[in-house]
Amino acid sequence: MTPPEPARRLALAEGDENPERILSLRGITKRFGAVRALAGIDLDVHAGEVVAIVGDNGAGKSTLVKILAGVHPQDAGSITAFGTTTTIANPTDSIELGIATVFQDLALCDSLDVVSNLWLGQELTRSGALDEVAMEARSWTLLRELRARLTSVRVPVAALSGGQRQTVAIARALIGDPGIVVLDEPTAALGVSQTAEVLNLIERLRERGLGVILVSHNIADVLAVADRVVVLRLGRNNGDFLASEITSDTLIAAITGATDRSATRRPVGEDAR
Amino acid sequence: MYPSPVTGRQRTPGSQTSLREANRARLVDSLKQHGRLTQVELAGVTGLSPATVSNIVKELSASGVLTTTASSRSGRRAVEVALARQLGLVAGLHFSSRHLRIAISDVGRAVVAENHVPLAFDHRHDRELDRAALLLGDMLDSVGASLDDVLAVGIALPVPIDQSTGMISAPGLMRGWEGVPIAEDFEQRVQRPAIVDSDANAGALAEHRQGAARDVSSAAYVRAGHTIGAGLILDGRVFHGTRGKAGQIGHVTIDENGPICRCGSRGCLDTLAGGPALMELFRGDPRMQRLRDLLAQADAGDASCRRVIADAGRHIGIALANLCNIVDPELVVVGGELAQAGETLLAPMRHALERSALAGAAGVPDIVQGALESRAELLGCLSLAIDSIGVGDGIRFPAVAG
Repeated sequence: MTPPEPARRLALAEGDENPERILSLRGITKRFGAVRALAGIDLDVHAGEVVAIVGDNGAGKSTLVKILAGVHPQDAGSITAFGTTTTIANPTDSIELGIATVFQDLALCDSLDVVSNLWLGQELTRSGALDEVAMEARSWTLLRELRARLTSVRVPVAALSGGQRQTVAIARALIGDPGIVVLDEPTAALGVSQTAEVLNLIERLRERGLGVILVSHNIADVLAVADRVVVLRLGRNNGDFLASEITSDTLIAAITGATDRSATRRPVGEDAR
Repeated sequence: MYPSPVTGRQRTPGSQTSLREANRARLVDSLKQHGRLTQVELAGVTGLSPATVSNIVKELSASGVLTTTASSRSGRRAVEVALARQLGLVAGLHFSSRHLRIAISDVGRAVVAENHVPLAFDHRHDRELDRAALLLGDMLDSVGASLDDVLAVGIALPVPIDQSTGMISAPGLMRGWEGVPIAEDFEQRVQRPAIVDSDANAGALAEHRQGAARDVSSAAYVRAGHTIGAGLILDGRVFHGTRGKAGQIGHVTIDENGPICRCGSRGCLDTLAGGPALMELFRGDPRMQRLRDLLAQADAGDASCRRVIADAGRHIGIALANLCNIVDPELVVVGGELAQAGETLLAPMRHALERSALAGAAGVPDIVQGALESRAELLGCLSLAIDSIGVGDGIRFPAVAG
């Protein structure tokens, strides 16, 4: 198909100052002793956009997530979030920047119920005592907005299905009203129904105008919900694709290194000038 | 099932009756989503007070919409509520370009469970049918039924289907599903009878049975979304043509020298007004990645988005005028994702139709928005399934007929 001349509205109108871009990483490098985990990674996330990060084992996905979450700072490179260049030295910095991370192990307290898990460490209080009523009410409001398939918020998290636990973990990330949600392998080890539940949830995060970074191994899930797919290979960018324009075959070629970045890298956004 | 970006969340108007009506709908929706729930859980999920839930449950079980069973939760007595169903169940699967929608209903078309999953652009039949079979099993489980209770499954795809072979009748349109007897394939997975049709035909059937085209005997249902197609209702029946390709207006030539289409032709309506073609105009704009973004921006008043939708409407209108000149329907119903744009799409379509279609004394056919919105095709799948077992509209029980 020969496309007509595209109307690059943003590139023309706004140049580098793109207010929709809420997170921008440039040249992120990280070493662990002799191992170079990341070597000059670039990543952009816009509001209301789902960016998937895919790559083989050891490609640097988890390291990148940990840098965003403030687990360990990068050795070189810059992070610009919501228009200001900052450093993320610890998890508190990350949360204050508006980045909420949901790790693969979810970090839920199995013996506590849904409400306690959602508000853990940020409990609402009323004249010195826990305000259980307000917390429960606000939990229900949030879960209903996400159309979560939960039937009770007073059951211990241990009693929930994998998809429901993932939902609770994502809902907890939303309590602090973040601008960016990082999901690390949210559909790993889930059944078909639970995967559907999580994919729908990601769509809803997008509708709320959040930037979503989705780290996943599952190509089909990635292509179902992502707007853009960033491929990492051996700690480097190996392609930045629009999800609507690639096939799983192209993506796998980029992940395995069958195609090189020089051939597959497609410019996106204002880089397209 | 998600609230559409254009209409958004429905507000509850003030009056007592409409409030009660809205509460009832909310409760029934929750049951469709979760299957069986106790009254206490219903109160939590709907946000209604336990007393209100109890009242509505009483009222709706008296009228036969709900059934209640004694049960227990955490050792306490509880009343479990479910949507009532009769006779047997049917299932509907609508695979659109980006979504799989599934519903289970009884043969009276009362939907008891509904779900949807986003799909990748180039989804393939093996993976998606596997997934659909598993999802269907899980959903049946949630309403306390099993695959044995399913009498038939109706499947809709956004491509023409040859009814004699059950395969896609034109190559290139949906590569991952070509050359596969889809109904047979799914039958093998679930061991239940299945029937396949194009989603435009399914949507047409639903709009004719229970939607905007209920009172007419001939109508055209135009489905405008990622792809464009039409389903024809002639004399009260869906018209398939010889190979199921009737009504494929997405591949009507609009521009002889236009871009090359998936079907191998040039300048098809799909290449000018289909979803990917519209989004191509916004390449490089991170806010505009999906059809839903285009609709939301147009709804928010963005001039260029409205213009793009209006142009799509004009192009569809030209193809539609040709269709109207040939089959002369009484009414045109517009559905699919783009129809959510309402008059932004319909007004230019009407204008193009008036310009190019033969006008009689009664003028050109009316163009209206579909009444069933994004669920038309899914409900059509259910109707397909119900029809295939012979207990559809009108009394056509096999025993009586034979």
